Amino acid sequence: MANPVSPLHPLRQTGQFGNKSAPGVTLQEIPNFGMLQFATWGDTFAETSAEAARVAGCDTAPNPGQFNSGDNGILMRVEPLKWWLISSEGTEVPQSDLPPEHGAVLDMRQSRCWLRIGGERAETLLNHFLPLDLSPAVFGAGTVASTAFHHVGVTLWRDDAGYNLLLPRSSAVSLWELMSESARQYGLVEI
Amino acid sequence: MSASRLTKGGRIDRSRKVTFSWDGKTFEGFAGDTLASALMASGEQVLGRSFKYHRPRGIMSAGVEESGAIVTLGKGDRVEPNAKATMQELFDGLSASGQNAWPNVRCDVGAVLGLFGRFFSAGFYYKTFMGLPPFEWGRGTGIWMQYEKLIRKAAGMGEASREADPDSYDHVHAFCDMLVVGSGPAGLNAALTAAQQGKDVILVEQDFELGGDLLNQSDPAVETQRAELIDALQSAGVRIMTRTTTFGLYDYGTAGLLERVTDHVTAPSQDAPRQRFWTVRAGATVLATGALERTIAFTNNDRPGVMTAAAARTYLNRYGVLPGQNIVLCTNNDSAYVSASELAAAGAKVTVVDLRTDVGADQLGAMQTAGVAVKTGLVPLKALGGKTVSGVQLAREAGTGWAAAETLSCDLLLVSGGWSPVVNLLSHRGAKPAWDADLACFLPASCSENVVMAGSATGHWQAADCAASGIAAAKVAMGEDAQTPTLGGWDTPIKPVYEVRLPGSKTKSFVDPQHDVTCDDVRLAHQEGFVSVEHLKRYTTLGMATDQGKMGNVIGLALMAEAMGKDIPAVGTTRFRPPYTPIAIGALAGRNVGTHFKVMRRTPLHDWNLRHGATMTDAGLWHRPWYFARKGETINDAYIREATTVRETLGICDVSSLGKIAVQGPDASEFLNRVYTNAFAKLAVGKARYGIMLRDDGMVMDDGTTWRLSENDFLMTTTTTGAGRVMVFLEELLQTRWPDLKVHICSVSDQWAGVSIAGPQTRDVIAACMEDPDTVSADNLPFMGVKKIRLKGGIDGLIARISFSGELAYEIYVPSDYGEPMMDLLWSETEPRGGCLYGLEALGALRIEKGHVTGAELDGRVTIDDAGLGKMASTKKSFIGSTLRQRPELLREDRPQLVGIFPKDRSQTFNGGALLCKHGDNIGFGEGWVTACTHSPALGHWIGLGYIAGGHEAWQGKSVTATDPVRQGDVEVEIVSPHMFDPKGERMHG
Repeated sequence: MANPVSPLHPLRQTGQFGNKSAPGVTLQEIPNFGMLQFATWGDTFAETSAEAARVAGCDTAPNPGQFNSGDNGILMRVEPLKWWLISSEGTEVPQSDLPPEHGAVLDMRQSRCWLRIGGERAETLLNHFLPLDLSPAVFGAGTVASTAFHHVGVTLWRDDAGYNLLLPRSSAVSLWELMSESARQYGLVEI
Repeated sequence: MSASRLTKGGRIDRSRKVTFSWDGKTFEGFAGDTLASALMASGEQVLGRSFKYHRPRGIMSAGVEESGAIVTLGKGDRVEPNAKATMQELFDGLSASGQNAWPNVRCDVGAVLGLFGRFFSAGFYYKTFMGLPPFEWGRGTGIWMQYEKLIRKAAGMGEASREADPDSYDHVHAFCDMLVVGSGPAGLNAALTAAQQGKDVILVEQDFELGGDLLNQSDPAVETQRAELIDALQSAGVRIMTRTTTFGLYDYGTAGLLERVTDHVTAPSQDAPRQRFWTVRAGATVLATGALERTIAFTNNDRPGVMTAAAARTYLNRYGVLPGQNIVLCTNNDSAYVSASELAAAGAKVTVVDLRTDVGADQLGAMQTAGVAVKTGLVPLKALGGKTVSGVQLAREAGTGWAAAETLSCDLLLVSGGWSPVVNLLSHRGAKPAWDADLACFLPASCSENVVMAGSATGHWQAADCAASGIAAAKVAMGEDAQTPTLGGWDTPIKPVYEVRLPGSKTKSFVDPQHDVTCDDVRLAHQEGFVSVEHLKRYTTLGMATDQGKMGNVIGLALMAEAMGKDIPAVGTTRFRPPYTPIAIGALAGRNVGTHFKVMRRTPLHDWNLRHGATMTDAGLWHRPWYFARKGETINDAYIREATTVRETLGICDVSSLGKIAVQGPDASEFLNRVYTNAFAKLAVGKARYGIMLRDDGMVMDDGTTWRLSENDFLMTTTTTGAGRVMVFLEELLQTRWPDLKVHICSVSDQWAGVSIAGPQTRDVIAACMEDPDTVSADNLPFMGVKKIRLKGGIDGLIARISFSGELAYEIYVPSDYGEPMMDLLWSETEPRGGCLYGLEALGALRIEKGHVTGAELDGRVTIDDAGLGKMASTKKSFIGSTLRQRPELLREDRPQLVGIFPKDRSQTFNGGALLCKHGDNIGFGEGWVTACTHSPALGHWIGLGYIAGGHEAWQGKSVTATDPVRQGDVEVEIVSPHMFDPKGERMHG
């Protein structure tokens, strides 16, 4: 079988870089994840959101700017009429049987690069690029935002372990370079 | 000025010596010094030369308002000119030098210009535009082009490095409930008040220590109070940013900050940025930005050794430097008296000269106790001395003017002409400051936004009042009621004085020393009709550039008011603009420089292409293979070989960058039918169709193929650079015009790795790579057919039989992560057959031969008929642009139409962009233009595409010239059909 090549594959290296005294930021690429989009027509919101929640394995679909964790991944509301289901490698996601009159399902795997950002200075590093208030009171665990990183649309969410970014695949290397170069001042640990 | 370092006192750390260089010589200072204080302590007096007259200049202040000690920092690629020595923290290895002087600031040949000063008055530079009298009277500026260079060389400030900036800079966003600017007593108390009420507070200070004017006090109790406040701030969780300047205030509580991260570090980490540019969004802002002490305009008030009174106190109490031994302090207000007594206590002989005659007895008594002589009713008329001050001639009031009085010898002349609150930041928000006649200064106006000022910035002159004002400001910013202390705070009112001169005298009295603007310049500007303060500012350069009105603004306005016979409020003030202090261009750019200027989009095959010899080129934000040169090949060799190989065997081209948009929903086919000019409603599942979409105005917007994957799912492809535009337009259509359509669109450009495989042997290669080779047989996959496929290795994907090159060709898309495995597979079958990889240059040659259009032809000015594709515009349905494309002007038969172009002499070439003119009539815009050209491997000579009036049939048998006057000259050409190779498309359908 052919082996997939993730977008950051040529750049990934484990270890600590830059400021040696204080490892302030961890960066990790999560490869081979699944990504499904559920889009509703508005008047079929209930049906589509229920289907999205069923496929994700969670009780309900989330409200705008939030995500819910389910057995098959996390379901995030990225637009008023759209949800994304992000599932880890190896997860058996049930087939969706959403009828066209209720909405549309789109397999978007490999259109994005998934980065996990952790460490004490993760918030500061992200604020080098993202014009969002990331303080826990405003952007706590369970929060999702569609925002811009160097004029590129990206998706950010925060879980208990830290921050997660979905970068468009074609821009991922460029944005990774910016982020990792800037992170070195805080002590960058690549996982 | 004979300054000396004291053996004790000050905030410097005498146990930590710091070595630095000034004009190539090594000096020593202490940790905690600024460059200015260390140079002063070392006895250096002339630190600069003035902008226009090259007059010697020394230290005039101790802060951002400095107009004399303007120096160049660093060496080589780290040179930073026009830095203020008063603001540069001293560190080991700091290198500084004088500027705008030769051979150095102490002995400058350019000083001879001072002799011709009367010719360099206000507007001198503009007047040179009118010609050099008497030679050019009335004839304009012929000679100006020559002497402009001399003027520019003689005038000016320091020189920036011409090398690339080696440092990095960061941009950072921050949010808070309250931003407090300034850490004097008002700022510290404002921040603490808000933080203790649970607010998230950022406190910003441009200095390297917190405290503002508290740092300049000699009383140990003040230092204790300062330390306690800082401890309390830290306990309350205030985010403290020192070495950070708030340079501008913008809409909705947004502030711009510049943090100097390593400008004070000898050997900074290569990972640390030099500076950070912060964008702070605050719920409320308190500006405790302090006040600047004004000087007075009198003859030679710019001599080294003339300084503000408060600055002398700063050097004494903060840096442990006694700036003079024999000091005359001229004032018109109470604030200077404490400086006088402290300087005297440090061992200097001090004489206070006060314009006021009603100085309080307590004040006079304190001076007597301190050993300070006081003379009243006098003002400075003229500073004596050359490169350093040696005395001061005084004047006394005589009627409405002044009369010369006694002369005092001194080595330091201190001046206090009053205080100007720093209202610059509030001015950025459009709040016009208001003149307060009692305090003789502009005070901040109220602001409609939640921006509150505090401390001496609001006209409180006593530290306790400033502290109380800070507390009140924080409360007001939090929406509470608060009482502010009474303004002012001096026992004896200030007696305003702005200029001292004898009637009819012509002297050099400087209003804005940084720009060599004199009092006479202001009067001349008024005389020449510049009666608005904004015009005055621009004509004289008063308060422009880095000064931004800090030093001479009020004096200039007072002089203007006097000239106009008005009072200062009637004249008004200029609007201060950001930045408050200069910002390096690098900080504005941040990390968005070099390869990061724009995001580079890489295809999933980017690295694979590079490993196989690709030279890349830009296509919008994308990097695409341009050509794959073999050893010894030029680009021409490479692309001709590649195009030839495609025609003879096969080639593979990375087309991943093409825009790809998923169009889904029950109304998707109807939507496409409205968007494209041709019919899409009945496109069968498993089929692709080439489509053209127009703008509303009937011009061609973009083209591409759309594949029907299922009843409700389509995959639209667009041009590489048109993808974003198309996506936005489609979304606009769905959201605003056709919200009733059940259609969702989504960009999936990044999801797929795509290749075009073209050439006679293509089918064999693809079949060899398939798990089921029969998938791509002619029967199973006819022209414009689409299929889901599985390549060997279990790689699922899509295939469409589409040709842009005119050959038998397919496009294969697989999920991006499988792009490289797909290429390994295809290349393993292609290379043994003599096939090649080809880039955009060869692709261009192939499509030009076929007359296929791209962005070069579809440039926004072209109709579908112009491009020769008018038959694709349906007459049976309405579509975007279908009405406006029928405008008579767009239907004229003599509009430029797409044609092919051959050189008449087949050995000749012509350029893209050349104009096509009727032979012998090479004038104007011609009859058309060349959009693209290439060597045609198939035809064996140079060919091109372009537009010409009436199309190729109108030019049969007629001579045309491709004229290119600035590059190649004229080439005679033939106009032919754009379909220059295989016009029937037999190879493509084979």
